[in-house]
Amino acid sequence: MRQVTTSDLLLLQTRVIASLILREARATFGTSAFGYVWAIITPTVSVGLLVFIFSIIDRQPPFGASLALFFATGILTLQFFNELSGKLMTVFDANRALLTYPIIKDVDTLIARALLIGATYALIMVVFYTALVVLGLAQFPAHPEHIISAFLATWLLGLGFGSLNTIIFSLWDTWAQIEKILTRPLFFISGVFYVPSQLPPQAREVLQWNPTLHLVEWFRHGFYANYNSSILEFWYPISIGAGMFLLGLTGERLFRKTRF
Amino acid sequence: MLAFKDVSKSYRIKGVKKTILSNFTFEFPKDRNIGIMGKNGAGKSTMMRLIAGIEPPDAGHIFRSPQVSWPLGFSGGFNGSMTGIENIRFVSRIYGQDTKRVIEYVRAFAELGPSLRLPIKTYSNGMKARLAFGLSMAIDFDVYLIDEITAVGDDDFKKKSQAVFKDKLANSQIIMVSHSAHTIQQYCDCGLLFEGQTIRFFDDVADLLAAYKELNR
Repeated sequence: MRQVTTSDLLLLQTRVIASLILREARATFGTSAFGYVWAIITPTVSVGLLVFIFSIIDRQPPFGASLALFFATGILTLQFFNELSGKLMTVFDANRALLTYPIIKDVDTLIARALLIGATYALIMVVFYTALVVLGLAQFPAHPEHIISAFLATWLLGLGFGSLNTIIFSLWDTWAQIEKILTRPLFFISGVFYVPSQLPPQAREVLQWNPTLHLVEWFRHGFYANYNSSILEFWYPISIGAGMFLLGLTGERLFRKTRF
Repeated sequence: MLAFKDVSKSYRIKGVKKTILSNFTFEFPKDRNIGIMGKNGAGKSTMMRLIAGIEPPDAGHIFRSPQVSWPLGFSGGFNGSMTGIENIRFVSRIYGQDTKRVIEYVRAFAELGPSLRLPIKTYSNGMKARLAFGLSMAIDFDVYLIDEITAVGDDDFKKKSQAVFKDKLANSQIIMVSHSAHTIQQYCDCGLLFEGQTIRFFDDVADLLAAYKELNR
């Protein structure tokens, strides 16, 4: 009898995840290509509107020449993170029926959804930032490679926090409300409206523990030639994200039996 | 090999513990069709889910080297807002099948006609069952798990299903849950009986049916 090798299993899992992404895309965006266009337009416009409102209130950009770019680096990054942490929370419940097919595992549905959200936000960011550059509201990024790494780090942190959320939510569904309360202040403590490096040292001391602050800083570091963040630590959000993801996977394994 | 080794499984629903299996060890005989019988709620469907690998056991090991189907006969895995074709496509993708071939097979077999292009939520139960049955027959499994498949469709369709099924049995094995003595007799040659706390194996299907009759007296 032929032994099943690790590469067989990886191939199987890749196949399953790819099929799940297609299915999820179909379920989320509908049949027409226009559904996907809406999925791109809606967040783009809502971020655009927020940026517009903030730029009316505050005429002087906290950094650089463009208010729009400064706020966008904060708001889009947080929105991407929130989308992952929120949508991943319910992924096990939403896909319960799929487990009828034994080759689909809970973790596959988690990864498939995270990849689809990642791909969607990659497109949203490309559209949004390109629009800013075209409209003359931003310069071409000074370090594009840093924007890509910042994006990936945001995805990892969202995946990590999202998978922890999934596990906690599957054990205790009040967590959905608590998570909302806990993540609400992120908007104010992630440097959306200010340059964290210019804060008084006491404030920086506390805020630097917030990993999403580092992500916002990372995006700005990618866009501006001389942002010179005194807080940004590349490895901090990556380690927190990877750590939480591992913890989430461990939780999935440990509490698998209680979910059935 | 398809085998249970020291498998325990219980459920706790609102503080009431229900034991389905405790330290159950059994090797499913190869190339034989096995019927599983027992009263409602005895744990037959749970056993199917354990064999399929949908649920993990509380303790013990389940060894599964053949390619086992999903427990067939209920259409829980279909997405209601997606069309028949889209659901077929999804299942053939995850099982690494040629999507076109599977769609053609199901189209010819399930006789759903243009309804295949409609969302599943518009289907009747009979249509769903035909789709589910056709879909599972389109994919070659070593072991087919059949959970109380009530014969679906009209007589023509029943005949067709039986013919395909007999054809499949030449190369595959079935494990079937049913309350119908007739169905079990038709397809199985040995079986397991859930009798309260114990599970007994019968090498001969006639003995299984006799014991099942006794149990229900």
